[in-house]
Amino acid sequence: METPKNTLIDGSKIIIESLAQSGADAFVAYPITPSNWMYKYGKQRMPLFLAAPDEISTLQWMAGLSATGVMPVTSSAFPGIALMVESINMAYAMELPMVIVITQRLGPSTGSATTGAQGDLSLLNGIISGGYPVPVFSPSDFTDAWELSNKAMETALKYRTPVFLLTSKEMVMYQRSFDLNRLRPLKKFTYDRHIEGEFKPYKPGRNLTPPFVPLGDDEHLTRFTASTHDADANIRKNDPEALENSKRLARKLTENLDDYFIYTLDKSSEPARDLVVTWGITADAAREAVAHLRNQGHPVDLLVVKTLLPVHPKLYEIMDGYDNVYFAEENLTGQFKEILFGHRAPEHIRSINKIGNMIKPSEIEEAVTHQKSLVL
Amino acid sequence: MSTATSSSNILTGKKFPFCPGCGHGIAINNLAKVLEELGYRPEDISIVSDIGCSGLIDPLFNTHTIHGLHGRSPALGLGVAMGLQQKDRKKTIAFIGDGGATIGLQHILEDARRNVDMTLIVLNNLLYGMTGGQISGLSTQKFKEIVDFETDIPPFNIIQLAHASGARYAARVDNPRQMKEVLKKAIETEGFSIVEIESLCPSYGMKRMNELMEVVEPEEEYENPRAATQIRMSEKPSLLDRQPVLEQKFEPLVRTRRDFIIAGSAGGGVQSTGKQLATAGILAGMHATMKGEYPITVGTGFSVAEVIFDPEPIYYTGLEQPSVAVIVTDDGLEKIRKRIGAGTRVYLDEKLAQEAETLPTDDIIIKPFTRTVNRKAAALLATAYMLDREKVIPLEALREVLANHRLAKVFLETLDRLEKLD
Repeated sequence: METPKNTLIDGSKIIIESLAQSGADAFVAYPITPSNWMYKYGKQRMPLFLAAPDEISTLQWMAGLSATGVMPVTSSAFPGIALMVESINMAYAMELPMVIVITQRLGPSTGSATTGAQGDLSLLNGIISGGYPVPVFSPSDFTDAWELSNKAMETALKYRTPVFLLTSKEMVMYQRSFDLNRLRPLKKFTYDRHIEGEFKPYKPGRNLTPPFVPLGDDEHLTRFTASTHDADANIRKNDPEALENSKRLARKLTENLDDYFIYTLDKSSEPARDLVVTWGITADAAREAVAHLRNQGHPVDLLVVKTLLPVHPKLYEIMDGYDNVYFAEENLTGQFKEILFGHRAPEHIRSINKIGNMIKPSEIEEAVTHQKSLVL
Repeated sequence: MSTATSSSNILTGKKFPFCPGCGHGIAINNLAKVLEELGYRPEDISIVSDIGCSGLIDPLFNTHTIHGLHGRSPALGLGVAMGLQQKDRKKTIAFIGDGGATIGLQHILEDARRNVDMTLIVLNNLLYGMTGGQISGLSTQKFKEIVDFETDIPPFNIIQLAHASGARYAARVDNPRQMKEVLKKAIETEGFSIVEIESLCPSYGMKRMNELMEVVEPEEEYENPRAATQIRMSEKPSLLDRQPVLEQKFEPLVRTRRDFIIAGSAGGGVQSTGKQLATAGILAGMHATMKGEYPITVGTGFSVAEVIFDPEPIYYTGLEQPSVAVIVTDDGLEKIRKRIGAGTRVYLDEKLAQEAETLPTDDIIIKPFTRTVNRKAAALLATAYMLDREKVIPLEALREVLANHRLAKVFLETLDRLEKLD
């Protein structure tokens, strides 16, 4: 057995280190709580660190860097993300890779900057105008933080898209003992410059994604545009080729979803009728609750979803096997549940929701034991 | 002027999309001539554009192009320029209209302040051409008097603002005959250069050159003698290289989960004490978590550290009612008062002794922690005292942590004061 390499560490350090090892070249950010440690580590670790004067500049600088082949990442919380939205749409339309880490905190508005939350998933579900999906990963523990940061980098570069890593204050500012042996060596990713045949800036290549030619390239002249465009990047209003190109932006992410869909299904040793579904920071409480219920003779399965968006049909297939499904999320209405089932979920789909504090294991146990929803 | 110069290799030769008589084409043709005269190849040039009439230019350039959002080309262009600094002799040229410059004013000032090598060309036709001729922040005073629009509010002088913010070169040009020379100076500048070109808008603005000359701001030209900012990437060591590996050196004294809250004030060493306690727990074979809590204004008010030890892996890190609370200041007490329960054992500084009867527990140990050391060391002394009494892990584990700290001498002196408390 390998000798443990225990340390006291926080999630911010693990995420930044993983992003750097996975191919990030630049950290661009405006500081905001609870992303403070991400910013500090970004400065210490990334080959290029840029202190932007605001969040709009942050995304614009990132887009400019990415267009030249310098892979950027940032970290922010809702108030900063809100300012970035138009620029994120721009990067999405231009097909510029980047990773955006969100450290969720209690809203609405300024809310409570040092209180954790899971309240920004609905925003990400509709963040691209027109119903286009964007990849959203959410780590449930430090090992996930390492693995999913790597996957986020791979997905962003492979599919030329902004990718979100949805964390929480509790993930990025907690310190805990951790065995560094659990961090496996990572593969480093880069822009895919493989061109087959004639080069056109938005002619799809592998995975429905155009090969990447950076600004300043000496072999090919390239064009990026945020307006509706054809394969040559000519701006076109609504001609069929341009609209087909716009649809491709969604198709490349949905048709390749199997490539980056990640979840864990922890099954009880006994057949279970009850399933707890959760994501992000609430997974810790869910793991404890499920273990406790099993010790009491109540078989319960646990589904921790790590690729939250786009929604994979596999999730419905899993949930169809249970009589009772409980969504545990630290927000007011159960945002992931609403994304999956709308505002009128079937009766056997229940919620455990809470704001202002982490959901406790005992609260999940109470809901499961009494077959009820809880809004706390 | 409505067509491109045919001999240009910088331009595609496509017909200009501007209204007949529009001034934007003059600027584009002059820029193309300057770039060719200076020997730039199309591959060397990245044109950054945004929205509005000035944003129609990217198909005209036979160069690299990137077309973004209204008002953001100075920021997008800066990102491009910083990225291209990793390569030799690549030039970033951003275009913006007067409307975009009003939106992106801060971006322009930031470009000037940073002084990275790029050129920004402001095509100021005095109004918003695409939405019906509304005025912008750069509409000149005399033009606003003609159209009777906000005549009591002066325009921004973008050239003086950019100069004051540090632009290497900043100039306004009104006369088309001077345009090429000014653009050449801007392109040759190493650093941030900005050129404002005031021009005709035959649809909503000034339709003739002699009329335009009546309303424009005077030509200006400024330089700041500063070197261009160089942006270079450099590899840095792994964060994990500096992460201490904590080998178990002590045996835990209990086999169950224990939790602690240390409550004090900002500047009292509460956060470092919490981290040291958690580290000591790991040295003693425990799983440990440490959560710090303090106001946004980190230099004042309460400071609280929550520490959990468990021989088994810890998942849920919440801590509602602690089994042990160490409280050394008023701020700390008020922050955690409601979390103290009947089963909580409290280690209380003597200066808070009068508060003991207000707490819902009888299990209170009062000691002169602050008086024995000082305000900055009281949390550490109280925590060490608590650890010695609670016998969860050996006190020696904490001593080991402190001995390896850069402030070991100070910390160990604090520990030596424990005997004064008995």
